[in-house]
Amino acid sequence: MNRIKENIVLLFLLTSFLAFSQQQQEDEKSYKKRVLETVEVDLLSSYYNQDGDNAAVTGGIGTEELTDATATIIIAIPLNEDDVLTIDAGVSAYTSASSSNVDPFDGNRQADPFVASSGASSNDVWTNLTASYSHTSDDRNKIWSALASVSSEYDYFSVGFGGSYTRLFNERNTEISVNGTVYLDSWAAIYPFELRPFAPNGNGLNNGFFLDNAITGNSSYNPQFVPFKNENRNSYILGFGFSQILHKNVQGSLSLDFVQQQGLLSTPFQRVYFADIADSFVGNFQLADAIEQLPDTRFKIAVGGRLNWFLSDRFVLRTYYRYYNDTWGIASHTASFELPVKLSNNFTIYPSYRYYHQSAADYFRPFEIALSTEEFYTSDYDLSKYVANQLGMGVSYTDIFTRAKLWKFGLKQIDLKYYNYNRDTTFTSSIITIGFNFEVY
Amino acid sequence: MSKPLVLMIVLVSFFSSCVVVKEYEKVAINDPDMQLSDLPCDRNVTIAHTYREGTAGANGGKTGGGCGCN
Repeated sequence: MNRIKENIVLLFLLTSFLAFSQQQQEDEKSYKKRVLETVEVDLLSSYYNQDGDNAAVTGGIGTEELTDATATIIIAIPLNEDDVLTIDAGVSAYTSASSSNVDPFDGNRQADPFVASSGASSNDVWTNLTASYSHTSDDRNKIWSALASVSSEYDYFSVGFGGSYTRLFNERNTEISVNGTVYLDSWAAIYPFELRPFAPNGNGLNNGFFLDNAITGNSSYNPQFVPFKNENRNSYILGFGFSQILHKNVQGSLSLDFVQQQGLLSTPFQRVYFADIADSFVGNFQLADAIEQLPDTRFKIAVGGRLNWFLSDRFVLRTYYRYYNDTWGIASHTASFELPVKLSNNFTIYPSYRYYHQSAADYFRPFEIALSTEEFYTSDYDLSKYVANQLGMGVSYTDIFTRAKLWKFGLKQIDLKYYNYNRDTTFTSSIITIGFNFEVY
Repeated sequence: MSKPLVLMIVLVSFFSSCVVVKEYEKVAINDPDMQLSDLPCDRNVTIAHTYREGTAGANGGKTGGGCGCN
């Protein structure tokens, strides 16, 4: 009898041990650290302004004044241990001389390339919505993601979709990735006001505008104008990435992007003035000889590298370099560094400098230099040769314990940054951004 | 075009020869300021550069999805 009792006890203990072991194994197997622990919300807002004397809308002369206010919300939602859905929505409201001087005659002042018209075309709103989904493998060494986006403004609409694959190995010291994105864009082309009567079936100089406003200079105004037939612009992007931890305080990355663009790559409202055509004016405003003409294909290649060095508990050095080349003849070098200085556990300041140099596109012609016999021409100074320098300063407040709470939102970080950008042309710009990062409980 | 590719291959080979840093040694590497992309609040600055300069790509910035023509 005792023997039976001993066996029963032994069997019970063995069963309990096996059951416990099995449970422990299952617990270990089922426990995975979540890729994202809680919902995170980022609010980002910026105010941008620029000015210069080389507006493309007025053929390379005139004000480049533009102001833009942008607000963006990014919500990252963990769907389970492995999957994250990110929603990114933004709205950007801008006022620009380039859009207002598409029709310089609709304001309440005399038309002038150096004065932005105050008419109805002087402002617009850009909206954007992007959704992306990422899945991380159980061992956390493989990441798949997919995205879809849509953006819209008055004369431009864009849809995009893409995906990426990332592989980590070498104890997560090495990472390689590949990504592809396609943007299918379409214009609702708007042309300079004075050219519109010269479209096929237009009434030319018999248009009421010319009957009401006397042309001075060359009164036989007869511009080259044929509206674009194809208003689509497609962009195909293929990118490769590689990153490597070089030391416990140093890591670097390389990226290589190929971009193929096809379709309407000219901007329909950008004027060109020819050297071999006599000038015509209405008031102070020189009437366009044509709109810019650019090839309908463009291939771009960009290779970039980053090297970040954790110098000490107080200093981090962030560096970046990029070389770029395209089939329009632009080659550029971009170099930047940023030196985050950790003043305390909560506050970091971010002084930075960026250098940029580009050569001119083959088709760039300054004001009144292009010839009417050429196939391609533009007076857009964004495609000219120039050097740009940018200085920046920022401050960041970080609280990893999110002690400041507002309803279900715990404030994790606030960033405030300012950048001033100057070209060796007349162009200058500045931007101030503020960002808030919240964890949601 | 071949120059960037050669440069990239050389740099990849160089990077691959480095020592392995263990997870417990990655305190500095995991610092938010060490991330190998633009910091989140610099997003609109990168977009402005992409719109205003003839160059795009290889920086995590957008290369499509809006004309940026104003």
